[in-house]
Amino acid sequence: MAYIRKRNRKIFLIFMMPAVLVLFGTTIYPMLYAGYLSFRSYDLAKLFVPRVYVGWANYREILSSSEFLHTLIVTFKLMAMTLSVQLVLGVGIALLVTQRLPGMGVARTLLLIPMMISPVIVGLVWLFLYFPELGYLNYFLSFLGLGPYAWITSTDWALWAIAIADIWQWTPFVMMGTAAALTNLSPEPFEAAKLDGNSPFDVFWRVTLPQIRPVLISLMFLRAIDAFKIYDIIFVLTKGGPGDTTEVLSMFIYRQSFTFWRMGVGAAASFVSLVIIVVLITLFFKSLNRDPHQA
Amino acid sequence: MSSIELKKVVKRYGAVDVVHGIDLEIAEGEFVVLLGPSGCGKTTTLRMIAGLEDVSDGELSIGNQVVNAVAPKDRGVAMVFQNYALYPHMTVRQNMEFALRPLRLARSETDRRINETAVLLGLDELLARRPSQLSGGQRQRVAMARALVRTPDVFLFDEPLSNLDAKLRTQVRLEIGKLHKRLGTTIVYVTHDQVEAMTLADKIVIMQDGHIEQTGSPQEVYTRPRNRFVATFIGSPAMNIVPATISDGKLVGDHVSVEIPERFKKRVQAGQKVEFGIRPTEISLLDGAEQATATARVEVTEYLGDEALLDLRIGSQELIAEVPANQCPAEDAEVRLRFNPEALHIFDAETGMSLENQAR
Repeated sequence: MAYIRKRNRKIFLIFMMPAVLVLFGTTIYPMLYAGYLSFRSYDLAKLFVPRVYVGWANYREILSSSEFLHTLIVTFKLMAMTLSVQLVLGVGIALLVTQRLPGMGVARTLLLIPMMISPVIVGLVWLFLYFPELGYLNYFLSFLGLGPYAWITSTDWALWAIAIADIWQWTPFVMMGTAAALTNLSPEPFEAAKLDGNSPFDVFWRVTLPQIRPVLISLMFLRAIDAFKIYDIIFVLTKGGPGDTTEVLSMFIYRQSFTFWRMGVGAAASFVSLVIIVVLITLFFKSLNRDPHQA
Repeated sequence: MSSIELKKVVKRYGAVDVVHGIDLEIAEGEFVVLLGPSGCGKTTTLRMIAGLEDVSDGELSIGNQVVNAVAPKDRGVAMVFQNYALYPHMTVRQNMEFALRPLRLARSETDRRINETAVLLGLDELLARRPSQLSGGQRQRVAMARALVRTPDVFLFDEPLSNLDAKLRTQVRLEIGKLHKRLGTTIVYVTHDQVEAMTLADKIVIMQDGHIEQTGSPQEVYTRPRNRFVATFIGSPAMNIVPATISDGKLVGDHVSVEIPERFKKRVQAGQKVEFGIRPTEISLLDGAEQATATARVEVTEYLGDEALLDLRIGSQELIAEVPANQCPAEDAEVRLRFNPEALHIFDAETGMSLENQAR
């Protein structure tokens, strides 16, 4: 800010104020307030009962509850399911759309559409597709002699149903990032490999993949952070059910805060979630800073 | 080692021909340089030999076998690319290893070949390094090593020195020359640098707009250019071209008059419009009373150490002369010139073809 001359400083501060206030009001203050709440007993249903300081009790309760542990496991399970499929599918489609074939430019654009749709809408679209009697998915599967499956109401399929919707929405993101990375690779090493007679598998595994690895790591971390916070699709499709089969961390926080009105516990769970995300982001930046050619 | 033959080879992109049915024979063990300005089709021709581009029409043979439909890997060719095309994430050793992978050699044989090639190119100390840890010249050598390690029949070079600085270029050029002497492999080498072409080639192929303008040894293309394009493309500074008319046994241009050399006398007619060419080194300054070819004004002098380049104006014509630096006149001086008649070239004004070759 050295370049701002003294007489301009006042004007500078005035212009900055609204943005700072909005940021403070919508992000910083709620976070601090949640931090404050996480150490209190605060029942929204009992508005006039004082919010008593309870120390680490909320955190102790969460971390020792099997329910919370279960939601963590579900969250990571869902993350593993979606990320692995998105990675393989995204890279596969990227390899396809970066070929010089007719129609690939159009295909690339069309494939981006799911990404632009709000997750709630995605949830609704898939809700209709999954509908046991009226849904198209079971209708088409019936031609293959499969089903009908109770997609969102069976404990076997509910998590997969959510994973499929998320995969449908976010594979294009991985595809787009990978395609950009592939387009950036210089073509000559591939021509050299062609002259030497290296097999396509060898070329992909030993030339392509190592070179796009840093990009893939970035994409996967971004997806991991998002997957960790997944909420909308689940809220629309299963609301965490059947039972607690699809109860992820965000659903747990929501349920504690706005179903059971236990704001203190909900805030504490939010903070635990925040810590996990911060750890993920730290890992991400560490991996980014590492020289990709030294790995 | 293999010979290469191109018969009426055409490269077409859509409706546009970029290589127009060229014929070329390359003998076993020959060092052939494809030379020409950018866009002349030399790299496209090389890539067709490599198999990286399809041949649109005509026939391409390597080692007496037509290879139009043969996959690049089965042609026995190895290529060194302009920007080296090294695998950035692999060490020098791994780069060479990867080139050998398709051959499925025994571990010991792979190691033997890599070590021998590394010693040959002075890379034995660098085998564990990655390309990013190497200098430009070293990367160039790794690119050559990777091509060499497969012991190909034909070596293809695509402007291999253009990313190096001037000093390194001279050094690597020498190394490539030595390598060819030692291995005797057939080499096809693409460049736009005539110095590389003149120093390395057994045979130079000069190309323009997808046509071969002339094929011949460096001496041939320099001393007996087939047309005006070759004459002005080879040699630095370029040959001077002066429009002239034949009159009274003389070449008469704007404020210039030269005796027609004996060997051309029967090949020209009075009144014929021609262009004559004279290399800057074949113009000398007169100080005595000898008959001058022309009188010129010195516009700019460029001092080069041993020589000086003179930008001369004769009437409406600009010429360049190269004279010993100690004879360099002052700028704006009037000088008397002599053109060495034995070194004159005469071209048809319309076709640009040399009259020397035409009559044969």
